[in-house]
Amino acid sequence: MRNRIENILSFKDLEIGFRSGKHRHVLLPPLIGSAGKGELIAVIGKNGIGKSTILRTFAGLQALLGGELTIDGKSVAEFSRMQLSAEIGYISTEIIKVSNMKVYDLVSLGRFPHTNWLGRIDTADHNVIIEAISKTGMSEFINRPITELSDGERQRAMVAMVLAQDAGIMVMDEPTAFLDISSKFEIIQLMHELTRSREKTIIFSTHDLTTAVSQADKIWLLKEQGLIEGAPEDLMLEGAFKTLFDDRKVQFNSNDGSFTIRNDEKGKIVVRGEGVNKYWTEKALLRAGYAVNESESIVEVEVPSPVNSNWKCKTPGSYQEFDSIFKLVNWIRDNDFIS
Amino acid sequence: MSGKKQQVFTPLYSPNRSGMIFSGLVLVLILFFVLDLFLGSVSIRPGEIIKAIFHNSDDITNTILTQFRLPKAVTALLVGIALSISGLQMQTLFRNPMAGPYVLGLSSGASLGVAFVILGFSADLSPESIKGFGNWAIAAASWTGAGLVMLLIMMISSRVKNIMTVLILGIMLSSAISAIVSIMQYFSNETMLKAYIIWTMGSLGNLTASQLNVMLLSVLIGVILSLISVKMLNALLLGEDYAKSIGLDVRRSRYVIIAGTSILAGTITAFCGPIGFIGIAVPHLARIIFRTSDHKVLIPGTILAGAIIMLASDIISQMPGSDNVLPVNSVTALIGIPVVVWVILRDQKYRDIF
Repeated sequence: MRNRIENILSFKDLEIGFRSGKHRHVLLPPLIGSAGKGELIAVIGKNGIGKSTILRTFAGLQALLGGELTIDGKSVAEFSRMQLSAEIGYISTEIIKVSNMKVYDLVSLGRFPHTNWLGRIDTADHNVIIEAISKTGMSEFINRPITELSDGERQRAMVAMVLAQDAGIMVMDEPTAFLDISSKFEIIQLMHELTRSREKTIIFSTHDLTTAVSQADKIWLLKEQGLIEGAPEDLMLEGAFKTLFDDRKVQFNSNDGSFTIRNDEKGKIVVRGEGVNKYWTEKALLRAGYAVNESESIVEVEVPSPVNSNWKCKTPGSYQEFDSIFKLVNWIRDNDFIS
Repeated sequence: MSGKKQQVFTPLYSPNRSGMIFSGLVLVLILFFVLDLFLGSVSIRPGEIIKAIFHNSDDITNTILTQFRLPKAVTALLVGIALSISGLQMQTLFRNPMAGPYVLGLSSGASLGVAFVILGFSADLSPESIKGFGNWAIAAASWTGAGLVMLLIMMISSRVKNIMTVLILGIMLSSAISAIVSIMQYFSNETMLKAYIIWTMGSLGNLTASQLNVMLLSVLIGVILSLISVKMLNALLLGEDYAKSIGLDVRRSRYVIIAGTSILAGTITAFCGPIGFIGIAVPHLARIIFRTSDHKVLIPGTILAGAIIMLASDIISQMPGSDNVLPVNSVTALIGIPVVVWVILRDQKYRDIF
């Protein structure tokens, strides 16, 4: 495999943080990493570790305190503000509230680096704006005031603005933070499409490890020791995520990248049966604090099957039937006979 | 050509709508300007105005028109334009719908500058005796005063995000400045004090021809700066981070906008005294009329609306048909305050939006 992905952004010995007076507050040890063209990169780490800071540093909103950051092989120091904006677009968590500003107006501001001193939108600019709006599925909202958009629509409008900016790299700080499930998947889907079809490179931060693991081409994991770079699967196999969370409270499942909140185990229950009924019954018992296993236990639960529609629960000295998981779990909990 | 591409997506946004409103406003402006010329304590019939314009006679009507009413109408026009643009620029720069040259203390800052010149340096600098360079000195002093207040408010609003808190700090600032001016008055001699008091009572009608010239030039500079700022103001609507990320040199544009605002608000305060509520109210009227946030439309829209409102205020203050004259300050307050109250009371969910 000789056709290496071309690096559009790379950094070496990068020190991020902020200056106050003469003091430099460097957040993390020197960082090394690179972003290839068309990659979708998730930045992950605990709150306060410096996810926003590293993204703001890429976008030129914060000065780098040390090391080098190159975009398209050129050091960022050589870019003027205007030149940088033609390379990197940025979406923060800040919600823009301007009355009378319509989606079209917002997106047309993305043309800022490309328009004349008055900001006049010519036919070419207009076409780029319309394309960005339709690409993000916002065509029907083109004249909607941005203050009347839902969180998901507003986020898509912001993406459209950055698309109109026509920069190769998009930096997004928690793009799915305020969104409901369906908007979240729409945005993730959109980001995915953009990296595939338009050769955009997207670097985004997120708390949603499951999404990051399943969607991102690459993960930049920020830890006190520095930045760990790799495909999500590699990091998964290396066990890199495990130390991210308090092991006593959260259990990380290396098989599918999901988490379960670890409760104190109250005892073991055997669940017999098949399919979706078994799956959800086990989930409910786990949440209630019981370990589920296939081997012997004094409590046995049989889930509904084609021949019967109730949950059956056998314990030493009792036999009960329930018509819902809710009733089953409550009964087991109330009787608390397992220790 | 621009019409063709825009009608593709919106009737609301069509240049026809804005164009029609602009033409309408220009007509209203001309109407009010003419009305302002012949309504007053001495009523002049339209025929006499035309006669006075075309026949260079020395009669009393001619004198009233060319010596009093024309300069006053031009002054009103300039005051309306200057205060309204400075208000619009402040609202966008600070992202604060309640910003204006009067409420945030620019007028006080300008007064302080004038007080330094009149009370501090020379007793001879009364508005009547100031000629030529003296006018520019007063203007420059008020620009400096207004500019320093602008920088202070800029510092405050970069630290304090709450709109109302900024407003309260602005009021504190004006009170502090007024206190300094009072102390300066206390220590100045009678002649200086009289000159200063006369200045503070300044109205639209007291300007000499040379003062009017200085004002005209200064407002022109301010308007040019505001036109240069159109693109920057649009970017700043998004806030500092986004403005930077789309390519704006935020620092430099702030200086340009602060300079323009200070020149506009300072000049008016220097020659007409503090006039309140035009700067804060007119930009909102322009936003309501044009339904846009684009400064390419809002700047000219604010210029027209501001000029019209100020001419209307002047007409009302002359109380046509009577010998009384109301202070123009009171008229602008009574016109402006309802707009401001409306903006505050507007749907609560839009409270932090401008």
